[in-house]
Amino acid sequence: MEAENIVMIRHLTKVYQQGDIQVAALNGISLDIAAGEFLSLMGPSGSGKSTLLHIIAGVDRPTSGQCLVQGLDVAQLSETELADWRNQNIGFVFQTFNLIPVLTAFENVELPLLLTALGRRQRRRQVETALELVGLADRAHHLPRQLSGGQEQRVAIARALVTDPAIIVADEPTGNLDSHSAQEVLGILRTLSAKAGKTVILVTHDPKAAAYGTRSIHLEKGELSG
Amino acid sequence: MSIGSFIVKNALRNKRRAALSVLSVAASMFLLVTLLVTQRELTMPPEDLGAALRVVVRSKISLAQPLPARQRAIIEKIEGVEAVSPFSWFGGKFKSEAHMTFAQFAMDAAKLRAIFGEAKMEPGAYEAFESDRNSCIIGKLTADKYGIKRGDKITFTSEIYPVTLEMKVAGIYSGTIDDRNVLFHQKLLDESMGNPGEVGTWWVKVRSAEEMPRVIEAINRAFANTSAEVRAESERAFQLSFVSMWGNIKILVGSISTVVVFTLVLVCASTMSMAVRERFRELAILKALGFRRRELYTFILAESFGLAGVGGALGIGWAWLFYTHSREAGISLVPVAAFLAVLAVRYFYRREILAGLLSLAGVWFFAKAAAFLVVKGSIAGLTNNIFVLFEVTPRIAGWAALVAAGLGILASIFPAISVARTSVVQGLKTLD
Repeated sequence: MEAENIVMIRHLTKVYQQGDIQVAALNGISLDIAAGEFLSLMGPSGSGKSTLLHIIAGVDRPTSGQCLVQGLDVAQLSETELADWRNQNIGFVFQTFNLIPVLTAFENVELPLLLTALGRRQRRRQVETALELVGLADRAHHLPRQLSGGQEQRVAIARALVTDPAIIVADEPTGNLDSHSAQEVLGILRTLSAKAGKTVILVTHDPKAAAYGTRSIHLEKGELSG
Repeated sequence: MSIGSFIVKNALRNKRRAALSVLSVAASMFLLVTLLVTQRELTMPPEDLGAALRVVVRSKISLAQPLPARQRAIIEKIEGVEAVSPFSWFGGKFKSEAHMTFAQFAMDAAKLRAIFGEAKMEPGAYEAFESDRNSCIIGKLTADKYGIKRGDKITFTSEIYPVTLEMKVAGIYSGTIDDRNVLFHQKLLDESMGNPGEVGTWWVKVRSAEEMPRVIEAINRAFANTSAEVRAESERAFQLSFVSMWGNIKILVGSISTVVVFTLVLVCASTMSMAVRERFRELAILKALGFRRRELYTFILAESFGLAGVGGALGIGWAWLFYTHSREAGISLVPVAAFLAVLAVRYFYRREILAGLLSLAGVWFFAKAAAFLVVKGSIAGLTNNIFVLFEVTPRIAGWAALVAAGLGILASIFPAISVARTSVVQGLKTLD
């Protein structure tokens, strides 16, 4: 049923201009993602999986086609509207953690909440809840350099979910982690999908990581291949 | 955490660079304030309270051309004139000094209080000066510099008149805007020269400010078409005409100031560009998290403004302290020297010899500077009495603060534009 789809993609193309050459990163993709689904996007480097993720997350715009997220064509939003929309609806987890090095774990998680109208006390409560969810309540006042890679990525997940977004996008979140930490991170993402009803879109080229998802799709040269 | 504390943490993430940026702005603002104050002192010499009521009368041909003594009676009769005194530049060298180091003027001692009421002297000094035509009074700055006391005899050899005059110090005056000069009797000069009936200039005290224009006009008219035409003007106008002999100081100082400010803009812009470039990816992350362009620009602007503001406040504050409270400025350097000494010990202990030596050089420099400032004590001491006043006026401080603020804004523009133009995807790709 279409009503259950949180993401609806129709005939999506993305063409990059590199000098005189046009490179098609996405080639007429159509895809539905159900709310609460844990979708693994797989494919080799340059297959367009990160581009697709960026368009769904509203940090890139398609060349043609439509990408409806919660029924909204995000490509039609202005820069400012997009920024607000991302803050409220999307949680980002990146391969290289991307925490702000001068801020503690608590402050890093609090960062997206500074854009909301929440008071200090409410922010504190939400940050503490997010850190507890990822099992790092006791590391709240540590700087990123005082944390292990796995812990840093868990802080990044806490930052992604602190605003209670509907969708969490994770771009190779285990790419820089050892297998134990990778399992922890993927386990948290699966829990968020299964128990908190978050839609998780995971980009990976690792079949083991993809296996955590409820569905896997493959991209090859900008097209869905399976 | 608040947005403000986030900005402060970002600004201080590279403490050494932040400190160096602040210091470079502070040093440049100090230089800028110095230039502006110098320009002001040279082009707008300080004036006494009584200057508004004083008229200087000189030969229309040139300042060096003497005026006939007979003019005095005519000037005195002009309505609104309260007192008239000759004022003749003696141009004497003191003792065996190679050059003239302070000015001596011959005048009518009886009119001293009427014309230069600001001068304060010890009791009895004025009367002693007035009653003894071989006496003089000397400004406190010069008396202190040469250790001259009341009752001493001092000798001047003129470079203008072919005479050497010896005079007894009847008093030491202070409280005028320029306590450096020697004033002695015109009669002494006249007698030594065989009463030539000439004076250098006339200084006239006018009854009220309203009467100034009319009196000036009347004096000029009184000697028009005579063999000794005069040019009468207010003391301020006279001083400014003197200043014009310095050449176009304004253009020179203005050019140097422009170069200083321009260099400063480049330094600050480069610092901010570096600071932004090294966290381009972080700014892209902030964009992804929902921060808008205007918020990112606010971060960059606040950081740039903060660095320029702190540097500006330090530079302007230090200039004010340095020029108006030199002794205190010297004392304030002592903790800096002490801090550097501690640093030097630490560096040597860690066997960081170069850093240790540099810190030691800093100790030496600041200790010498502190001793110099404490000993000299004032701008007059610092400049060997070339400047008696070096005032960092609110206007100058305001201008410098405005420049610092502008600097903060200018330095943030280019980094902000490059951040605004970069998409989240481009930003995330940096350093990957």
